[in-house]
Amino acid sequence: MQIEAREYEYANDYKVLIESYSGKPEHLLAIMQDVQKHYNYLPRLAISMISQHVGIPVSRVYAMASFYKAFSLVPKGKFIFRVCDGTACHIKNSATLLDQLQEHLGIEVDETTADGLFSIETVNCLGACALAPVMVVNGKVYGKVSPGDVERIINEYGGQSYASQHKC
Amino acid sequence: MKIMLNGQEREAREGETILEMCRREGIPIPTFCYYQAFGGQGACRMCMVELREEGQEQTRLVAACTYPIKSSVEIITESERIQRLRRTIVMLLARRAPDNPLMEALARTYSSPRLTAIEVEPPNCILCGLCIHACEEMGRTAIWSMFRGIDKRIGTPYDEASEDCIGCAACARICPTQAINLEEEGSTRRIWNKTFELVACQRCGKNYTTREELEYLWERTEYGKEKLCESCRKKTLAINMKSFQQ
Ligand code: FES
Ligand code: FES
Repeated sequence: MQIEAREYEYANDYKVLIESYSGKPEHLLAIMQDVQKHYNYLPRLAISMISQHVGIPVSRVYAMASFYKAFSLVPKGKFIFRVCDGTACHIKNSATLLDQLQEHLGIEVDETTADGLFSIETVNCLGACALAPVMVVNGKVYGKVSPGDVERIINEYGGQSYASQHKC
Repeated sequence: MKIMLNGQEREAREGETILEMCRREGIPIPTFCYYQAFGGQGACRMCMVELREEGQEQTRLVAACTYPIKSSVEIITESERIQRLRRTIVMLLARRAPDNPLMEALARTYSSPRLTAIEVEPPNCILCGLCIHACEEMGRTAIWSMFRGIDKRIGTPYDEASEDCIGCAACARICPTQAINLEEEGSTRRIWNKTFELVACQRCGKNYTTREELEYLWERTEYGKEKLCESCRKKTLAINMKSFQQ
């Protein structure tokens, strides 16, 4: 697998994080979660370092990373807008929220803005159907979101420039 | 241990799988994900048979390749229910490998209806997992099953050339549907997005392996550093034996 040169700048940070766990194979998932938490994705170099640390082939670490939705193989934004598109939220028009977000931020679902600030994702039911439609930004829950709220929420995370840029 | 197999009393070895016993008794059971050297995976469900435990009325379906015989059970390997099950499995898997001769033959055997094909990567892969086992058995584990659900597929990380792949093609050889793309041209081999240089047999001159595989084998075996293809290795072995006996 090809690892870009600039990733090596972080090699030491990854190392410290990874080596805070013992090299037992059963720690694989925990290490991956920790790296994901710190960097919002699993960098290639980190995947190869994790594989070495726990003695599990890269193919299997990658397979695990690709299997769970909690892991991302590509860089994610600093703020992740998770829009629920479960049954209840769907009926309460989550699609409009999504449209608004996509329009304001100029990206599609599962994409990240060029400045690495925002990503949009969808989930299938957050288990808060009474609050439908629901949106979560880095763990903060927004319930009963109306289309008019979207811009304000984006601004909360410093997205003013985006919002004005795409307003028509 | 006495068990009933298709209505006849048979002797089973304790702990052997139903499949092992049936193979020994010459009773055919179709399989996709089973390979003798690796044992059963219980993944494809093609080998399902009916099993009735002692004192039970009903039979239940179990995977013959993973079910160990531990008590005097009754086993039925052919029935309407099993036929139906195999027909469905073949019907679904054939969507992934519509023009593959094996799947076509099976579809005929089980009169499986033909559904529209779906595009999979690599084409014709029915996800039996034998290639993964072969690669693991080689001690490389360069490929694994990635993603999940309808996106599940076999591959190398990032679909790129893997450092662990030595181009041995054990995966391609074991694949029941020839789904793994192995290209050979002159003295190069391409597999899993990686190009290898082929090495010729010192006796017959046939290109038979990759440099990487050869070096890997040299590293881990007692063999001398010779470059012999399999048939030439056997021949030299036979010649050596003869001179040894004389
Ligand atoms: S459907 Fe959105 S929280 Fe349940
Ligand atoms: S052969 Fe038994 S489940 Fe595949």
